[in-house]
Amino acid sequence: MPESYVPIFVFLVVNVAVAVLIIALSTYLVKRKPTAQKLMPYECGMDPFGTARKRFSVKFFVVAMLFIIFDIEAVFLYPWAVVFKDLKLFGLIEMVVFIAVLLLGLFYAWKKGALEWQ
Amino acid sequence: MVGLSHYLVLSAALFTLGVIGVFVRRNAIVIFMCIELMLNAVNLAFIAFSRYLQALDGQVFVFFVMTVAAAEVAVGLAIIVVVFRSRQTVRIDEINLLKG
Amino acid sequence: MEALFFYLFGGLALISSFFVIFLRKPVHNAVALIFTFFCLAGLYLILGAEFVAMIQVLVYAGAIMVLFLFVIMLLNLEEEEAIEGRGNKFRRWLGGFAAVVVFLLLAPVWLMQALPVVKGTFPPEKVQELGNTVWIARLLFTDYLLPFEVASVLLLAAIVGAVFFAMKRM
Repeated sequence: MPESYVPIFVFLVVNVAVAVLIIALSTYLVKRKPTAQKLMPYECGMDPFGTARKRFSVKFFVVAMLFIIFDIEAVFLYPWAVVFKDLKLFGLIEMVVFIAVLLLGLFYAWKKGALEWQ
Repeated sequence: MVGLSHYLVLSAALFTLGVIGVFVRRNAIVIFMCIELMLNAVNLAFIAFSRYLQALDGQVFVFFVMTVAAAEVAVGLAIIVVVFRSRQTVRIDEINLLKG
Repeated sequence: MEALFFYLFGGLALISSFFVIFLRKPVHNAVALIFTFFCLAGLYLILGAEFVAMIQVLVYAGAIMVLFLFVIMLLNLEEEEAIEGRGNKFRRWLGGFAAVVVFLLLAPVWLMQALPVVKGTFPPEKVQELGNTVWIARLLFTDYLLPFEVASVLLLAAIVGAVFFAMKRM
């Protein structure tokens, strides 16, 4: 069965090869005449202001953290969906319990204001 | 022919690299990454055993290891962020007090 | 065929985990670690653990490393030199020593040629018949039901802990 993944592997290798080739060609074949204007970071056509090294807000972290936890929940749902027909009501109950416990966490985050963007 | 011991040697090597990282690096975030590397080395051993013993329990275990890793990362990185906000550093030499 | 892919993915995983340890910038470490995770997913595919391989990409490369990169950018540490310090001899030696000790402890696996144990009840043919995911799901939701429900409590604790720390007013 692992043999059936060989096309995906070939696809990945071709992808990487094409990307490396394009970057290498554009690095070594191009004539460079850098000017201050050309080296400026491109921000949708506006002149850049401030530094790009500014610290992010901690709110991004809270959102990413909640994403991880509920990503794991979604990952548990995949195998459950595959065998749902075999498990019948029992499977439904066990998943409802699982999700209910995680919902408590969601309510806690909500109460704490982790979902507000202020 | 690739046997079980090949995978176990690879797993041991990855685990050892993780240990070296924990000893050599001083950045708390990078040390955390090395711990993830060690967890993955163990996962590889689990999967290899599950294949050669023809039992699927190892794969279910890897599933739970990943769940624990996700929970650990969420809390651990939150702690690193809090420590950084109160001490302005992630150098573990300087984070030597539990009370901020 | 299997040997070729094993040495390819295994070698790449080893090389990129060297980068995880020895590159100086945390962002580079994180990208090298993502690459290591992809190589491990390839090894899982060779071993016939298809579902775990997909989860590896989805959870480790897709979610956990994203959080790592977020935190690296959130803290945005300027002076790497200040964090790592100039070459600390003692620490290098300690690291090397620890590596030798750990590897020697794990080394007996070389000597292990065949395991004198009973084979389990899932030969590859039986797994292939219905697919890896179905069997894992059956085990997970029947034999491993209690760990599954306990995992939800663990995740709840993780949410509460992480939100508490992150929303703390300084």
